Amino acid sequence: MSTRHLFAVIRKEIQHIFRDRGTFILVLITPTLVLLLMTYALAVDIVHVPIALLDYDQSAISRKFVQQITAGDDLDLYATVNSMDQVEDLLNRGKIKAAVIIDPEFSADLLALQGFNLQVIIDGTEPETGGFAVDHIGWRAEAFANDILASQLQSAGIPLDSLQPIDLRIRAWYNPSLKPQVDLLPGLLSIVLGFPAFSVALTLAREHEHHTLEQLLATPITRIELLLGKMIPYILAGLLNVIFIPLLALAWFKVPFHGNYLVFLLLSAIFLFAELSMGMVIGVFMHSQSAALALSFLVVMFPGFFLTGIFFPIASLPEMARLESLFLPGTHYAIITRGVFLTGIGLDILWPYAIMLVFLGLVFTGTAALFFKKRLA
Amino acid sequence: MTDQAYIQISGLTRKFKEQVALDSIDLSIRQGELFGLVGPDGAGKTTLLRTLAGLLRITAGQVTAAGCQLHKNPESIKPKIGYMAQEFSLYGKLSVHENLQFFGDLYDVTSQDQKERIPRLLTFAQLTEFQDRRAAKLSGGMKKKLALACTLLHQPPILLLDEPTTGVDPVSRREFWTILNDLHIQGTTIIVSTPYMDEADRCSRVALIYQGSIVECDSPTAIRSRLGGDVIKVITSDWQAARELILPLPGVQEVQSYGEALHVLVDSAAKASRRIKKTLGKAKLDILELREITPRMEEAFISLIRKMDQES
Amino acid sequence: MIRRILALVKKEFLHLKNDWWLPAFMLFGGALELLAVGWATSRPISNLPMMVWDMDKTRASRNLIISLENTDVFETPLPAYSLNEIEDQMDRGNINAAVIIPQGFSGQLYSPTGSPVLQVILNGAESIPAKEAQRAVEGVVRGLGERIALQQVSVNSEQMKGFDFSLRVWFNEALNEAFFTTPAELGLMLEFTILLFAALTFSREREFGTLEQLLVMPFSSAEIIIGKSLPVIIVGLSDFSLMLGVVHFGFHVPLQGSVTLLYLLAFIYTLVELAKGMAISIFSKSQHQAFLLVFMIGMIDFMFTGYAAPVESMPKVMQIVAKLIPAHHWLNILRGLLLKGTGVMDMLPDILWLLLLGSVIGIFSLQYIRKNLD
Repeated sequence: MSTRHLFAVIRKEIQHIFRDRGTFILVLITPTLVLLLMTYALAVDIVHVPIALLDYDQSAISRKFVQQITAGDDLDLYATVNSMDQVEDLLNRGKIKAAVIIDPEFSADLLALQGFNLQVIIDGTEPETGGFAVDHIGWRAEAFANDILASQLQSAGIPLDSLQPIDLRIRAWYNPSLKPQVDLLPGLLSIVLGFPAFSVALTLAREHEHHTLEQLLATPITRIELLLGKMIPYILAGLLNVIFIPLLALAWFKVPFHGNYLVFLLLSAIFLFAELSMGMVIGVFMHSQSAALALSFLVVMFPGFFLTGIFFPIASLPEMARLESLFLPGTHYAIITRGVFLTGIGLDILWPYAIMLVFLGLVFTGTAALFFKKRLA
Repeated sequence: MTDQAYIQISGLTRKFKEQVALDSIDLSIRQGELFGLVGPDGAGKTTLLRTLAGLLRITAGQVTAAGCQLHKNPESIKPKIGYMAQEFSLYGKLSVHENLQFFGDLYDVTSQDQKERIPRLLTFAQLTEFQDRRAAKLSGGMKKKLALACTLLHQPPILLLDEPTTGVDPVSRREFWTILNDLHIQGTTIIVSTPYMDEADRCSRVALIYQGSIVECDSPTAIRSRLGGDVIKVITSDWQAARELILPLPGVQEVQSYGEALHVLVDSAAKASRRIKKTLGKAKLDILELREITPRMEEAFISLIRKMDQES
Repeated sequence: MIRRILALVKKEFLHLKNDWWLPAFMLFGGALELLAVGWATSRPISNLPMMVWDMDKTRASRNLIISLENTDVFETPLPAYSLNEIEDQMDRGNINAAVIIPQGFSGQLYSPTGSPVLQVILNGAESIPAKEAQRAVEGVVRGLGERIALQQVSVNSEQMKGFDFSLRVWFNEALNEAFFTTPAELGLMLEFTILLFAALTFSREREFGTLEQLLVMPFSSAEIIIGKSLPVIIVGLSDFSLMLGVVHFGFHVPLQGSVTLLYLLAFIYTLVELAKGMAISIFSKSQHQAFLLVFMIGMIDFMFTGYAAPVESMPKVMQIVAKLIPAHHWLNILRGLLLKGTGVMDMLPDILWLLLLGSVIGIFSLQYIRKNLD
């Protein structure tokens, strides 16, 4: 392989990156920008979930219960209503996400140790907020019932401290408050670094569309020189994005960085090689820029969201999907970034993933080189 | 000819999806020839040039050029060829100089040689003052000259030029051909396709391609003389009417129209002139010009095509 | 005028035939993506690997382990014999949770005043499964604790109706994740495909240099706009129908509301995004740029649709911004019509917002486009 040829292509691609506004932004600015935007969007804590209360009991106990439920930021009392019709109406209009309906026998049953007559209706169209409401109402109800029950039992002479004898101590490692942005940001890195992959797919397609391919193919350049020459500038551009991300992550989102920075850069470069060679394969097959873009999005971005274990654990995926995820560079890089940012593990544990990425990169590059013919037809 | 052909094409066929673009072509081109390719659009000129440049797969046949066997290893010919595509195929976003540098590197021209050759080429293509301009911003003629310069940087023994002067102003065209002639004198083998008949006239030999086959391949003089007859140029006040009148006359082979003028191919100029004058006079058509002219490639060419059409 | 528009539309479709993959992608890409994504994400979180360090080894501790396994959330818990082991596996990301049962757990559990400590360690590097794991563990422990406590005082827990209040889920009885995710994905895919398609209309012509040709033809700018819009609308609505089919037949998401209303509103929404897309395509100098802008706008819209995080929980400022995003209202409408069967009156605010935003965007875009075409 001639380094002169390689450098000529690299130089040309770099010149093009700087001279085409769209490419420049897509490759140098978008990844970091989108990463920050998306993390910001996902860093939302659920608060102020609106609920409605329908109290058929209207006793001292029920009123105390109502107070307990609505104390705090998590649940907002949108309205106290008088009938199921009103509940239905509010749910239909999306004004409330849950409704608590207190049975007329509520206090009576509770004091007689007959149980807890409560109905909670949630809006199933948003399981997130609905589930949140159920959890929080549940905790409150539980604590409330516990207290009442315990005092009842004690006054009946039954010695019982609490209904919950087990002292459950829960700790979360690496991300103590389980803030979503802390573990999502490293994961998102493997998604946003897909943008340079789009550009790689586009650069070959652009040679087709702008007719420059003909002249290029007439030269003695080899396929590997051409493909690698086109990829390398974009790998570098991707790396440029990566360089500042740990700093930004820490400053803006308080995402820790426990690993070795140089190892991180090295592994990121390897990931970019694998990811971008995926883009190259697409570029070899798609001869128009729009087609290359469309396919890149379908194949690189979307699976990146759902199959790489960032939002949805791989263990929970159906077997087919789990298999697919192995072939996505993003899956392995997500593990790497999680490790480097949050867990602080090093190359000694991460090396199998690095190998896998190198392997994927070679397979994709090889495929691209195989199918890319130095012929016009 | 006893000296072996520098470029030997035997039975070259190229099929693309059931369409035969080149049908068993045989050509022998000697070293240092300035060889012309003419033919109507879609005849196969571009296909032939692209195949010779190693850009298209050969379906059948053999092509040997400068010692390389294209049918076995198309890549081998590329360092020895300077190819200029019909459509502008350079990088619009790169400057003149940058384009030259890029192709120089791809053709393994050392930096030393590039430093020496690029300024020379720029001068000779008259692009020195534009060397930092983006290629997309050049005029049509300058673009073609740049493309030509890119093919010359590595001083290849063979040049393949696909309609290099199409869309270029007459002055630039003239300059271009001066350059080609110089190269021809220096011994470069040049194959150039052109729609311009006057350019075909300047070649050592010309091949006429029609529907993928070589119809004629000879020196321009020979082709012209094969016309078999004389040509009379007639300009009247109503060329359409005149055409209708002249066509059925005995001794008239064909009538070609060139704008207002008619070029009449006849058996004998003397006899035909008299007949034409009489016929047109009877129809009260004014004759503005009537004289014998030397047959040109144009007439020969159109006549040949017409005969082929008639045969099929 | 109609004839000229039809001629333009015909030309657009002819061009599309060359790039047949573009409408093919629009039509099938969206549906396929929906199918794939819906299938992958509509499953609850399950099979999470975990470890248990059982230092008690009694029937009670084993019961606890079995209860954990019986939740679908966890895979069969692996045994751990030291904290180091747990640390190592957690570091490698091989387990999502670990439970440490201390020695004497059973003893303390069955004594009336005992309060056994149960340690649970969650893998915070994956917060989403961690939360699910937390929920599952808490549920198991609560249930167990309650039963044991009541047993102690010989209160028959059957007597008490138990402390689980009755939970009813509306609109999505099975709490089927797909009911939530697929309508949202459907809405987003529609937006994205229309935007992309529309954004490519003019930017492609510009990049190929055919835009000038189009402009010198005797079409008025209105005709050009309509002519270019029709294919997008046709493909967009076909795409919508296809995706609706996937969502309804593939994922059994109901269609409670009026279908006519649904299509009418889908049409209006299509026009809104179309206007946005065309403005982008006139603005962009290349297809690259167009794609970039579409993507950026798509991302921003995505943030406000409530798919990733509920809008009510966002700071007030963001909530106001959300109201200005057409996709936000469209998703509300879509969810309403598909899952709740809401009528026009209930959805009126969203519909009005959509119309208002549509008109404003439409007018601005039109002006901008006309200015640049003339």
